Amino acid sequence: MICPRCDTDKVHLLVKSPVGNVWEMYICETCTYSWRSTESADKTDPARYAKNFKINPSEIPNMLVIPTIPPLKA
Amino acid sequence: MSPVATQDRVLDEKATGKVFHDLRSFLKVLEEAGQLVRIKEEVDPEEIGAAGRASANLKNGPAVLFEKVRGYRNPVVTNVHGSWANHAMMMGMDKDTPVKEQFLELNRRWAKYPVSPERVEDAPVKENIMTENINIFEILSLYRINTYDSGCFLSKACIVSADPEEPTNYNKVNMGTYRMQVKGKDKLGIQALPFHDIGLQLSKAEALNQPVPIAICLGNDPLTTFMASTPIRYDQSEFDYVGALNNGVPMKITKSPTYGLDIPAGCEVCIEGYIEPRVRECEGPFGEFPGSYSGARLQGVVQIKSISYRNNPIFENLYLGIPWSEIDYLMALNTSVPLYQMLKETFPEVQAVNAMYTHGIGAIISTKVRFGGFAKAVAMRLLTTPHGMAYAKIIIVVDEYVDPFNLEQVMWAMTTRVDPDKDVSIIKNCPGMPLDPSSNPPGMHNKLIIDATTPKAPEKVSRDTELLKPPAGTEKWEKIISQLLKQTKN
Repeated sequence: MICPRCDTDKVHLLVKSPVGNVWEMYICETCTYSWRSTESADKTDPARYAKNFKINPSEIPNMLVIPTIPPLKA
Repeated sequence: MSPVATQDRVLDEKATGKVFHDLRSFLKVLEEAGQLVRIKEEVDPEEIGAAGRASANLKNGPAVLFEKVRGYRNPVVTNVHGSWANHAMMMGMDKDTPVKEQFLELNRRWAKYPVSPERVEDAPVKENIMTENINIFEILSLYRINTYDSGCFLSKACIVSADPEEPTNYNKVNMGTYRMQVKGKDKLGIQALPFHDIGLQLSKAEALNQPVPIAICLGNDPLTTFMASTPIRYDQSEFDYVGALNNGVPMKITKSPTYGLDIPAGCEVCIEGYIEPRVRECEGPFGEFPGSYSGARLQGVVQIKSISYRNNPIFENLYLGIPWSEIDYLMALNTSVPLYQMLKETFPEVQAVNAMYTHGIGAIISTKVRFGGFAKAVAMRLLTTPHGMAYAKIIIVVDEYVDPFNLEQVMWAMTTRVDPDKDVSIIKNCPGMPLDPSSNPPGMHNKLIIDATTPKAPEKVSRDTELLKPPAGTEKWEKIISQLLKQTKN
Protein backbone atom coordinates (compact mmCIF):
# COMPACT_ATOMS: atom_id res chain seq x y z
CA MET A 1 0.00 0.00 0.00
CA ILE A 2 1.25 3.46 -0.89
CA CYS A 3 0.59 6.70 1.01
CA PRO A 4 -1.89 8.78 -1.02
CA ARG A 5 -0.11 11.98 0.04
CA CYS A 6 3.63 11.33 -0.15
CA ASP A 7 3.73 8.15 -2.25
CA THR A 8 6.06 6.24 0.10
CA ASP A 9 5.36 2.63 1.00
CA LYS A 10 5.87 2.55 4.78
CA VAL A 11 2.21 2.42 5.69
CA HIS A 12 0.57 0.41 8.45
CA LEU A 13 -2.88 -0.40 9.73
CA LEU A 14 -3.76 2.24 12.33
CA VAL A 15 -7.03 0.76 13.61
CA LYS A 16 -10.05 -1.35 12.62
CA SER A 17 -13.52 -0.05 13.37
CA PRO A 18 -14.29 -0.76 17.06
CA VAL A 19 -17.80 -1.84 16.09
CA GLY A 20 -18.58 -4.18 13.21
CA ASN A 21 -16.12 -4.72 10.40
CA VAL A 22 -17.04 -1.59 8.51
CA TRP A 23 -13.77 0.30 7.97
CA GLU A 24 -10.03 0.39 8.61
CA MET A 25 -7.74 3.35 9.03
CA TYR A 26 -4.17 3.46 7.78
CA ILE A 27 -1.30 5.78 8.57
CA CYS A 28 1.88 6.72 6.75
CA GLU A 29 5.07 6.49 8.78
CA THR A 30 6.82 9.13 6.67
CA CYS A 31 4.37 12.04 6.62
CA THR A 32 1.81 10.87 9.28
CA TYR A 33 -1.12 11.21 6.88
CA SER A 34 -3.99 8.91 7.90
CA TRP A 35 -7.09 7.86 5.99
CA ARG A 36 -10.17 5.67 6.33
CA SER A 37 -10.99 2.93 3.83
CA THR A 38 -14.49 4.38 3.36
CA GLU A 39 -13.29 7.86 2.32
CA SER A 40 -13.51 9.09 -1.27
CA ALA A 41 -10.75 8.51 -3.82
CA ASP A 42 -9.40 12.06 -3.53
CA LYS A 43 -8.30 11.16 0.01
CA THR A 44 -7.29 7.52 -0.44
CA ASP A 45 -5.91 7.10 -3.98
CA PRO A 46 -2.33 8.34 -4.60
CA ALA A 47 -3.20 9.10 -8.22
CA ARG A 48 -6.22 11.21 -7.27
CA TYR A 49 -4.92 13.00 -4.15
CA ALA A 50 -4.96 16.81 -4.65
CA LYS A 51 -1.66 17.85 -6.26
CA ASN A 52 -1.14 20.98 -4.16
CA PHE A 53 -1.47 18.99 -0.93
CA LYS A 54 1.00 16.30 -1.96
CA ILE A 55 4.13 16.16 0.19
CA ASN A 56 7.58 15.35 -1.13
CA PRO A 57 9.34 13.37 1.62
CA SER A 58 12.58 15.28 0.99
CA GLU A 59 10.82 18.50 2.11
CA ILE A 60 10.00 17.12 5.56
CA PRO A 61 13.35 17.69 7.32
CA ASN A 62 13.27 21.35 6.15
CA MET A 63 9.78 22.14 7.41
CA LEU A 64 9.26 24.92 9.95
CA VAL A 65 9.89 23.69 13.53
CA ILE A 66 7.17 24.87 15.94
CA PRO A 67 8.10 25.77 18.58
CA THR A 68 11.88 26.00 18.16
CA ILE A 69 13.76 23.57 20.41
CA PRO A 70 15.74 25.50 23.04
CA PRO A 71 19.40 24.78 23.79
CA LEU A 72 19.93 22.24 26.56
CA LYS A 73 20.82 23.78 29.93
CA ALA A 74 24.13 22.42 31.21
CA MET B 1 -12.22 48.08 37.64
CA SER B 2 -15.90 47.72 36.77
CA PRO B 3 -16.58 49.68 33.62
CA VAL B 4 -20.34 49.15 33.68
CA ALA B 5 -21.12 49.73 37.36
CA THR B 6 -24.19 51.84 36.62
CA GLN B 7 -25.79 48.92 34.80
CA ASP B 8 -25.13 46.20 37.41
CA ARG B 9 -28.66 46.05 38.72
CA VAL B 10 -30.32 45.70 35.31
CA LEU B 11 -27.88 42.98 34.24
CA ASP B 12 -28.32 41.06 37.50
CA GLU B 13 -32.02 40.73 36.80
CA LYS B 14 -31.34 39.39 33.32
CA ALA B 15 -28.74 36.82 34.43
CA THR B 16 -30.98 33.82 35.09
CA GLY B 17 -28.42 32.06 37.22
CA LYS B 18 -28.31 28.91 35.11
CA VAL B 19 -24.85 27.50 35.72
CA PHE B 20 -23.52 24.38 33.98
CA HIS B 21 -21.04 22.03 35.63
CA ASP B 22 -20.84 19.66 32.70
CA LEU B 23 -21.59 19.43 28.99
CA ARG B 24 -24.67 17.24 29.36
CA SER B 25 -26.63 19.72 31.47
CA PHE B 26 -25.91 22.43 28.86
CA LEU B 27 -26.98 20.16 25.97
CA LYS B 28 -30.26 19.46 27.82
CA VAL B 29 -31.01 23.16 28.16
CA LEU B 30 -30.08 23.79 24.51
CA GLU B 31 -32.44 21.04 23.40
CA GLU B 32 -35.29 22.40 25.54
CA ALA B 33 -34.79 25.82 23.94
CA GLY B 34 -34.76 24.40 20.40
CA GLN B 35 -31.01 25.03 20.02
CA LEU B 36 -29.93 21.38 19.64
CA VAL B 37 -30.92 18.96 16.92
CA ARG B 38 -30.54 15.21 17.31
CA ILE B 39 -29.53 12.95 14.41
CA LYS B 40 -30.83 9.45 15.18
CA GLU B 41 -29.82 7.81 11.87
CA GLU B 42 -26.36 6.31 11.58
CA VAL B 43 -23.87 8.63 9.82
CA ASP B 44 -20.52 8.14 8.18
CA PRO B 45 -17.83 9.76 10.41
CA GLU B 46 -16.74 12.16 7.68
CA GLU B 47 -20.23 13.72 7.49
CA ILE B 48 -19.82 15.34 10.88
CA GLY B 49 -17.49 18.12 9.65
CA ALA B 50 -20.02 19.05 6.95
CA ALA B 51 -22.82 19.23 9.53
CA GLY B 52 -20.67 21.51 11.70
CA ARG B 53 -20.09 23.82 8.70
CA ALA B 54 -23.79 23.74 7.78
CA SER B 55 -25.06 24.57 11.24
CA ALA B 56 -22.65 27.49 11.68
CA ASN B 57 -23.93 28.88 8.35
CA LEU B 58 -27.45 29.22 9.77
CA LYS B 59 -28.58 32.19 11.82
CA ASN B 60 -28.79 30.87 15.39
CA GLY B 61 -27.43 27.50 14.24
CA PRO B 62 -28.03 24.72 16.75
CA ALA B 63 -25.70 22.21 18.31
CA VAL B 64 -25.86 18.95 16.32
CA LEU B 65 -25.78 15.65 18.25
CA PHE B 66 -25.06 12.43 16.35
CA GLU B 67 -26.33 9.41 18.27
CA LYS B 68 -24.77 6.80 15.96
CA VAL B 69 -21.51 7.07 14.04
CA ARG B 70 -20.69 4.12 11.77
CA GLY B 71 -18.04 1.81 13.17
CA TYR B 72 -17.87 3.58 16.53
CA ARG B 73 -19.46 3.16 19.95
CA ASN B 74 -20.16 6.65 21.18
CA PRO B 75 -22.03 9.83 20.18
CA VAL B 76 -20.56 13.09 18.83
CA VAL B 77 -21.76 16.68 19.26
CA THR B 78 -20.64 19.68 17.24
CA ASN B 79 -21.52 23.41 16.94
CA VAL B 80 -22.24 23.63 20.67
CA HIS B 81 -20.96 27.24 20.75
CA GLY B 82 -21.76 28.04 17.13
CA SER B 83 -24.38 30.81 17.38
CA TRP B 84 -25.11 33.95 19.42
CA ALA B 85 -28.14 32.16 20.85
CA ASN B 86 -26.03 29.29 22.23
CA HIS B 87 -23.39 31.77 23.37
CA ALA B 88 -25.99 33.70 25.38
CA MET B 89 -27.39 30.52 26.90
CA MET B 90 -23.88 29.51 27.95
CA MET B 91 -24.10 32.39 30.43
CA GLY B 92 -27.67 31.63 31.49
CA MET B 93 -28.94 34.58 29.41
CA ASP B 94 -31.95 34.72 27.13
CA LYS B 95 -31.13 33.28 23.69
CA ASP B 96 -32.11 36.54 21.97
CA THR B 97 -29.66 38.70 23.95
CA PRO B 98 -27.85 41.14 21.59
CA VAL B 99 -24.07 40.77 21.23
CA LYS B 100 -23.25 44.13 22.87
CA GLU B 101 -25.27 43.12 25.95
CA GLN B 102 -23.46 39.80 26.14
CA PHE B 103 -20.16 41.74 25.97
CA LEU B 104 -21.28 44.05 28.80
CA GLU B 105 -22.46 41.12 30.96
CA LEU B 106 -19.17 39.27 30.46
CA ASN B 107 -17.31 42.39 31.57
CA ARG B 108 -19.49 42.68 34.66
CA ARG B 109 -18.76 39.07 35.65
CA TRP B 110 -15.07 39.41 34.73
CA ALA B 111 -14.71 41.77 37.70
CA LYS B 112 -15.66 38.94 40.10
CA TYR B 113 -12.29 37.21 39.47
CA PRO B 114 -10.91 35.32 41.29
CA VAL B 115 -13.52 32.74 42.33
CA SER B 116 -11.63 29.73 43.70
CA PRO B 117 -12.93 26.38 42.42
CA GLU B 118 -14.50 23.69 44.55
CA ARG B 119 -12.36 20.54 44.74
CA VAL B 120 -14.23 17.25 44.50
CA GLU B 121 -12.89 13.69 44.88
CA ASP B 122 -15.44 11.89 42.76
CA ALA B 123 -16.31 12.92 39.24
CA PRO B 124 -18.19 11.14 36.43
CA VAL B 125 -15.02 11.16 34.29
CA LYS B 126 -13.57 8.65 36.80
CA GLU B 127 -16.32 6.08 36.10
CA ASN B 128 -13.98 4.25 33.71
CA ILE B 129 -10.25 4.20 32.97
CA MET B 130 -8.19 2.55 30.25
CA THR B 131 -4.51 2.08 31.17
CA GLU B 132 -3.45 -0.86 28.99
CA ASN B 133 -3.86 -1.58 25.27
CA ILE B 134 -4.76 2.07 24.91
CA ASN B 135 -6.99 2.72 21.92
CA ILE B 136 -8.41 6.23 21.66
CA PHE B 137 -10.77 5.07 18.86
CA GLU B 138 -12.64 2.86 21.35
CA ILE B 139 -13.68 5.94 23.32
CA LEU B 140 -13.86 8.80 20.79
CA SER B 141 -15.68 8.65 17.46
CA LEU B 142 -12.87 10.41 15.59
CA TYR B 143 -13.28 11.88 12.11
CA ARG B 144 -11.54 14.11 9.58
CA ILE B 145 -12.94 17.65 9.93
CA ASN B 146 -11.86 19.30 6.64
CA THR B 147 -11.07 17.52 3.36
CA TYR B 148 -7.29 17.98 3.31
CA ASP B 149 -6.60 17.79 7.02
CA SER B 150 -3.75 15.39 7.68
CA GLY B 151 -5.97 13.04 9.71
CA CYS B 152 -8.45 13.07 12.57
CA PHE B 153 -8.02 16.05 14.90
CA LEU B 154 -9.17 17.07 18.35
CA SER B 155 -10.21 20.71 17.82
CA LYS B 156 -11.88 21.50 21.14
CA ALA B 157 -9.68 19.87 23.79
CA CYS B 158 -9.00 21.77 27.02
CA ILE B 159 -5.42 20.81 27.83
CA VAL B 160 -4.12 21.21 31.37
CA SER B 161 -0.41 21.44 32.14
CA ALA B 162 1.72 22.70 35.03
CA ASP B 163 4.78 24.94 35.06
CA PRO B 164 7.81 22.60 34.89
CA GLU B 165 9.77 24.75 37.37
CA GLU B 166 6.85 25.20 39.80
CA PRO B 167 4.50 22.25 39.23
CA THR B 168 2.51 22.87 42.44
CA ASN B 169 1.94 26.61 41.76
CA TYR B 170 -1.84 26.68 41.21
CA ASN B 171 -1.78 30.03 39.41
CA LYS B 172 0.75 28.79 36.87
CA VAL B 173 -1.32 25.75 35.92
CA ASN B 174 -2.46 26.40 32.37
CA MET B 175 -5.61 25.29 30.61
CA GLY B 176 -5.54 26.00 26.90
CA THR B 177 -6.97 24.71 23.62
CA TYR B 178 -4.34 23.48 21.16
CA ARG B 179 -5.03 21.36 18.14
CA MET B 180 -4.05 17.68 18.31
CA GLN B 181 -3.61 15.34 15.35
CA VAL B 182 -4.42 11.68 16.04
CA LYS B 183 -1.31 9.73 14.96
CA GLY B 184 -1.86 6.36 16.65
CA LYS B 185 -4.07 4.45 19.07
CA ASP B 186 -1.98 5.99 21.82
CA LYS B 187 -0.20 8.87 20.08
CA LEU B 188 -1.12 12.47 19.24
CA GLY B 189 0.52 15.50 17.71
CA ILE B 190 0.21 18.89 19.40
CA GLN B 191 0.48 22.44 18.08
CA ALA B 192 2.17 24.50 20.82
CA LEU B 193 2.78 27.99 19.44
CA PRO B 194 5.67 29.80 21.14
CA PHE B 195 3.60 32.71 22.52
CA HIS B 196 0.94 30.46 24.02
CA ASP B 197 1.33 29.46 27.66
CA ILE B 198 1.98 25.82 26.81
CA GLY B 199 4.77 27.00 24.48
CA LEU B 200 6.40 28.72 27.47
CA GLN B 201 6.10 25.61 29.61
CA LEU B 202 7.38 23.33 26.84
CA SER B 203 10.41 25.54 26.34
CA LYS B 204 11.31 25.36 30.04
CA ALA B 205 10.93 21.57 30.11
CA GLU B 206 12.81 20.94 26.87
CA ALA B 207 15.80 22.96 28.09
CA LEU B 208 16.06 20.29 30.80
CA ASN B 209 15.13 17.42 28.46
CA GLN B 210 12.02 16.75 30.54
CA PRO B 211 8.59 15.59 29.27
CA VAL B 212 5.51 17.72 29.96
CA PRO B 213 2.62 15.76 31.54
CA ILE B 214 -0.74 16.93 30.21
CA ALA B 215 -4.41 16.15 30.79
CA ILE B 216 -6.49 16.53 27.63
CA CYS B 217 -10.08 17.18 28.74
CA LEU B 218 -12.86 16.79 26.20
CA GLY B 219 -16.57 17.53 26.44
CA ASN B 220 -16.59 20.32 29.03
CA ASP B 221 -19.19 22.71 30.38
CA PRO B 222 -19.38 25.62 27.91
CA LEU B 223 -17.66 28.30 30.03
CA THR B 224 -14.69 26.03 30.72
CA THR B 225 -14.16 25.67 26.97
CA PHE B 226 -14.66 29.44 26.65
CA MET B 227 -11.92 30.19 29.18
CA ALA B 228 -9.52 27.60 27.72
CA SER B 229 -9.37 29.69 24.54
CA THR B 230 -9.28 33.10 26.32
CA PRO B 231 -6.00 35.02 26.43
CA ILE B 232 -5.22 35.82 30.09
CA ARG B 233 -1.93 36.42 31.87
CA TYR B 234 0.33 33.42 32.44
CA ASP B 235 -0.04 33.64 36.21
CA GLN B 236 -3.84 33.91 36.17
CA SER B 237 -6.04 30.87 36.69
CA GLU B 238 -8.57 29.85 34.05
CA PHE B 239 -10.44 27.93 36.78
CA ASP B 240 -10.82 31.11 38.87
CA TYR B 241 -12.22 32.89 35.80
CA VAL B 242 -14.76 30.13 35.09
CA GLY B 243 -16.14 30.72 38.59
CA ALA B 244 -16.31 34.46 37.92
CA LEU B 245 -18.13 33.94 34.61
CA ASN B 246 -20.47 31.46 36.35
CA ASN B 247 -21.65 34.64 38.10
CA GLY B 248 -19.66 33.76 41.22
CA VAL B 249 -20.49 30.03 41.41
CA PRO B 250 -17.21 28.09 41.81
CA MET B 251 -16.20 25.67 39.10
CA LYS B 252 -15.72 22.03 40.20
CA ILE B 253 -12.28 20.52 39.71
CA THR B 254 -10.77 17.15 40.55
CA LYS B 255 -7.33 15.52 40.37
CA SER B 256 -6.62 13.61 37.17
CA PRO B 257 -6.15 9.89 37.95
CA THR B 258 -2.67 9.38 36.44
CA TYR B 259 -0.72 12.63 36.88
CA GLY B 260 -2.75 14.37 39.59
CA LEU B 261 -3.31 17.48 37.47
CA ASP B 262 -6.28 19.72 38.31
CA ILE B 263 -8.98 19.05 35.72
CA PRO B 264 -12.62 20.11 35.14
CA ALA B 265 -14.65 17.58 37.13
CA GLY B 266 -17.50 17.67 34.60
CA CYS B 267 -15.53 16.60 31.51
CA GLU B 268 -16.65 13.61 29.43
CA VAL B 269 -13.15 12.27 28.70
CA CYS B 270 -9.69 12.93 30.17
CA ILE B 271 -6.71 11.67 28.17
CA GLU B 272 -3.47 11.80 30.12
CA GLY B 273 -0.06 11.65 28.54
CA TYR B 274 3.14 13.61 28.11
CA ILE B 275 4.70 15.80 25.43
CA GLU B 276 7.95 14.11 24.43
CA PRO B 277 10.86 16.51 25.00
CA ARG B 278 12.89 17.74 22.01
CA VAL B 279 10.88 15.70 19.50
CA ARG B 280 9.23 17.18 16.41
CA GLU B 281 7.40 15.29 13.70
CA CYS B 282 5.49 16.11 10.53
CA GLU B 283 2.03 17.40 11.50
CA GLY B 284 -0.78 18.98 9.52
CA PRO B 285 -1.98 20.52 7.34
CA PHE B 286 -5.12 21.43 9.25
CA GLY B 287 -7.92 23.80 8.29
CA GLU B 288 -7.35 26.69 10.67
CA PHE B 289 -9.35 29.63 11.99
CA PRO B 290 -8.08 32.12 9.34
CA GLY B 291 -10.11 30.08 6.84
CA SER B 292 -7.31 28.26 5.03
CA TYR B 293 -5.13 25.24 5.63
CA SER B 294 -2.00 25.82 7.65
CA GLY B 295 0.95 24.06 6.06
CA ALA B 296 2.55 20.89 7.32
CA ARG B 297 5.07 21.70 10.05
CA LEU B 298 7.35 19.82 12.44
CA GLN B 299 5.45 19.95 15.73
CA GLY B 300 5.30 18.21 19.13
CA VAL B 301 4.35 14.62 19.89
CA VAL B 302 2.27 13.26 22.80
CA GLN B 303 2.34 9.73 24.19
CA ILE B 304 -0.94 8.67 25.84
CA LYS B 305 -0.72 6.80 29.16
CA SER B 306 -4.38 6.58 30.21
CA ILE B 307 -7.89 7.52 29.16
CA SER B 308 -10.56 8.18 31.80
CA TYR B 309 -14.17 8.59 30.70
CA ARG B 310 -17.79 8.88 31.74
CA ASN B 311 -20.19 6.09 30.83
CA ASN B 312 -21.34 6.59 27.21
CA PRO B 313 -18.93 9.50 26.69
CA ILE B 314 -19.92 12.20 24.20
CA PHE B 315 -17.12 13.40 21.89
CA GLU B 316 -17.46 17.18 21.57
CA ASN B 317 -15.56 18.61 18.60
CA LEU B 318 -15.64 21.90 16.72
CA TYR B 319 -15.77 22.79 13.01
CA LEU B 320 -13.48 25.56 11.81
CA GLY B 321 -13.42 27.04 8.31
CA ILE B 322 -13.98 30.30 6.46
CA PRO B 323 -15.29 32.72 9.10
CA TRP B 324 -17.76 32.64 10.65
CA SER B 325 -17.82 29.08 11.92
CA GLU B 326 -18.19 27.71 15.47
CA ILE B 327 -14.70 28.78 16.45
CA ASP B 328 -15.46 32.43 15.62
CA TYR B 329 -18.46 32.50 17.97
CA LEU B 330 -16.37 30.83 20.68
CA MET B 331 -13.49 33.31 20.36
CA ALA B 332 -15.46 36.50 19.60
CA LEU B 333 -16.06 37.88 23.07
CA ASN B 334 -13.38 35.88 24.89
CA THR B 335 -10.90 37.89 22.84
CA SER B 336 -12.73 41.22 23.10
CA VAL B 337 -13.26 41.18 26.89
CA PRO B 338 -9.64 40.64 28.04
CA LEU B 339 -8.35 43.17 25.51
CA TYR B 340 -10.95 45.69 26.68
CA GLN B 341 -9.99 45.07 30.31
CA MET B 342 -6.27 45.53 29.61
CA LEU B 343 -6.85 48.71 27.58
CA LYS B 344 -9.14 50.13 30.27
CA GLU B 345 -6.37 49.79 32.89
CA THR B 346 -4.27 52.34 31.01
CA PHE B 347 -7.01 54.32 29.25
CA PRO B 348 -10.29 54.66 31.19
CA GLU B 349 -11.56 56.64 28.17
CA VAL B 350 -12.03 53.37 26.20
CA GLN B 351 -15.73 52.50 25.84
CA ALA B 352 -15.67 49.07 24.21
CA VAL B 353 -13.48 46.76 22.14
CA ASN B 354 -14.69 44.58 19.29
CA ALA B 355 -11.89 42.08 18.66
CA MET B 356 -14.18 39.45 17.13
CA TYR B 357 -12.52 39.21 13.75
CA THR B 358 -10.26 36.22 13.24
CA HIS B 359 -9.31 35.91 16.91
CA GLY B 360 -8.47 39.62 17.16
CA ILE B 361 -6.35 39.97 14.02
CA GLY B 362 -8.88 42.73 13.27
CA ALA B 363 -10.08 44.94 16.10
CA ILE B 364 -12.22 48.05 16.53
CA ILE B 365 -11.84 50.26 19.61
CA SER B 366 -14.35 52.91 20.68
CA THR B 367 -12.87 55.66 22.84
CA LYS B 368 -13.24 59.23 24.05
CA VAL B 369 -10.50 61.35 22.55
CA ARG B 370 -8.86 63.73 24.98
CA PHE B 371 -6.49 65.51 22.63
CA GLY B 372 -4.88 65.23 19.19
CA GLY B 373 -3.27 61.84 18.51
CA PHE B 374 -4.95 60.16 21.51
CA ALA B 375 -6.61 57.49 19.37
CA LYS B 376 -3.25 56.40 17.95
CA ALA B 377 -1.89 55.96 21.48
CA VAL B 378 -4.86 53.79 22.42
CA ALA B 379 -4.28 51.63 19.35
CA MET B 380 -0.61 51.24 20.23
CA ARG B 381 -1.56 50.09 23.72
CA LEU B 382 -3.65 47.30 22.15
CA LEU B 383 -0.60 46.31 20.15
CA THR B 384 1.50 45.93 23.30
CA THR B 385 -0.90 43.69 25.23
CA PRO B 386 0.26 40.03 25.15
CA HIS B 387 -2.58 38.93 22.85
CA GLY B 388 -2.60 42.12 20.77
CA MET B 389 1.12 41.86 20.20
CA ALA B 390 0.82 38.39 18.72
CA TYR B 391 -2.52 38.63 16.92
CA ALA B 392 -3.81 42.18 16.26
CA LYS B 393 -2.84 43.48 12.85
CA ILE B 394 -5.57 45.89 11.72
CA ILE B 395 -6.86 48.31 14.37
CA ILE B 396 -9.61 50.81 13.74
CA VAL B 397 -10.30 53.47 16.39
CA VAL B 398 -13.71 55.19 16.52
CA ASP B 399 -15.27 57.89 18.70
CA GLU B 400 -17.09 57.08 21.93
CA TYR B 401 -20.56 57.47 20.31
CA VAL B 402 -19.79 54.86 17.62
CA ASP B 403 -20.73 51.28 18.56
CA PRO B 404 -17.75 49.12 17.54
CA PHE B 405 -20.07 46.08 17.28
CA ASN B 406 -22.22 47.89 14.72
CA LEU B 407 -20.27 47.60 11.47
CA GLU B 408 -22.55 50.04 9.64
CA GLN B 409 -21.59 52.67 12.20
CA VAL B 410 -17.91 51.72 11.95
CA MET B 411 -18.02 52.11 8.16
CA TRP B 412 -19.72 55.49 8.64
CA ALA B 413 -16.87 56.55 10.92
CA MET B 414 -14.22 55.32 8.46
CA THR B 415 -15.83 57.02 5.47
CA THR B 416 -16.33 60.38 7.20
CA ARG B 417 -13.46 60.70 9.64
CA VAL B 418 -10.41 59.18 7.96
CA ASP B 419 -8.00 61.38 6.08
CA PRO B 420 -5.62 58.73 4.69
CA ASP B 421 -2.83 61.31 4.54
CA LYS B 422 -2.53 61.50 8.33
CA ASP B 423 -4.87 58.94 9.88
CA VAL B 424 -3.34 55.72 8.55
CA SER B 425 -0.12 54.36 10.06
CA ILE B 426 1.88 51.23 9.31
CA ILE B 427 4.26 49.96 11.97
CA LYS B 428 6.70 47.55 10.42
CA ASN B 429 8.38 44.37 11.58
CA CYS B 430 6.29 43.49 14.65
CA PRO B 431 5.47 40.06 16.11
CA GLY B 432 2.60 38.38 14.31
CA MET B 433 0.38 35.34 14.01
CA PRO B 434 2.01 32.59 11.90
CA LEU B 435 -1.37 31.11 10.94
CA ASP B 436 -2.40 34.40 9.28
CA PRO B 437 -1.64 33.58 5.61
CA SER B 438 -0.52 37.18 5.01
CA SER B 439 2.04 37.02 7.85
CA ASN B 440 5.38 37.09 6.06
CA PRO B 441 7.59 35.47 7.18
CA PRO B 442 5.16 33.45 9.34
CA GLY B 443 5.32 34.97 12.80
CA MET B 444 5.88 38.59 11.71
CA HIS B 445 3.28 41.29 11.09
CA ASN B 446 3.27 44.84 9.81
CA LYS B 447 0.60 46.53 11.91
CA LEU B 448 -2.05 48.91 10.52
CA ILE B 449 -3.75 51.63 12.58
CA ILE B 450 -6.71 53.53 11.14
CA ASP B 451 -7.73 56.54 13.21
CA ALA B 452 -11.41 57.13 12.44
CA THR B 453 -11.98 59.59 15.28
CA THR B 454 -12.88 63.27 14.98
CA PRO B 455 -9.76 65.46 15.17
CA LYS B 456 -9.06 67.29 18.44
CA ALA B 457 -6.71 70.19 19.26
CA PRO B 458 -3.82 70.69 18.83
CA GLU B 459 -4.59 68.77 15.64
CA LYS B 460 -6.02 71.17 13.04
CA VAL B 461 -9.77 70.72 12.76
CA SER B 462 -10.60 71.45 9.14
CA ARG B 463 -14.42 71.34 9.48
CA ASP B 464 -16.84 71.56 12.37
CA THR B 465 -18.94 68.42 12.78
CA GLU B 466 -22.26 69.05 14.49
CA LEU B 467 -23.77 65.57 14.81
CA LEU B 468 -27.39 64.96 13.83
CA LYS B 469 -28.86 64.03 17.21
CA PRO B 470 -32.16 62.06 17.14
CA PRO B 471 -35.23 64.35 17.31
CA ALA B 472 -37.05 64.62 20.66
CA GLY B 473 -39.43 61.69 21.08
CA THR B 474 -37.36 59.12 19.15
CA GLU B 475 -37.08 56.74 22.14
CA LYS B 476 -40.82 56.92 22.76
CA TRP B 477 -41.49 56.02 19.12
CA GLU B 478 -39.04 53.11 19.19
CA LYS B 479 -41.09 51.57 22.00
CA ILE B 480 -44.43 52.23 20.30
CA ILE B 481 -43.31 50.75 16.96
CA SER B 482 -41.67 47.65 18.56
CA GLN B 483 -44.82 47.01 20.55
CA LEU B 484 -47.00 47.29 17.43
CA LEU B 485 -44.68 44.93 15.52
CA LYS B 486 -44.92 42.34 18.29
CA GLN B 487 -48.71 42.55 18.19
CA THR B 488 -48.69 42.12 14.39
CA LYS B 489 -46.53 38.96 14.72
CA ASN B 490 -48.99 37.49 17.25
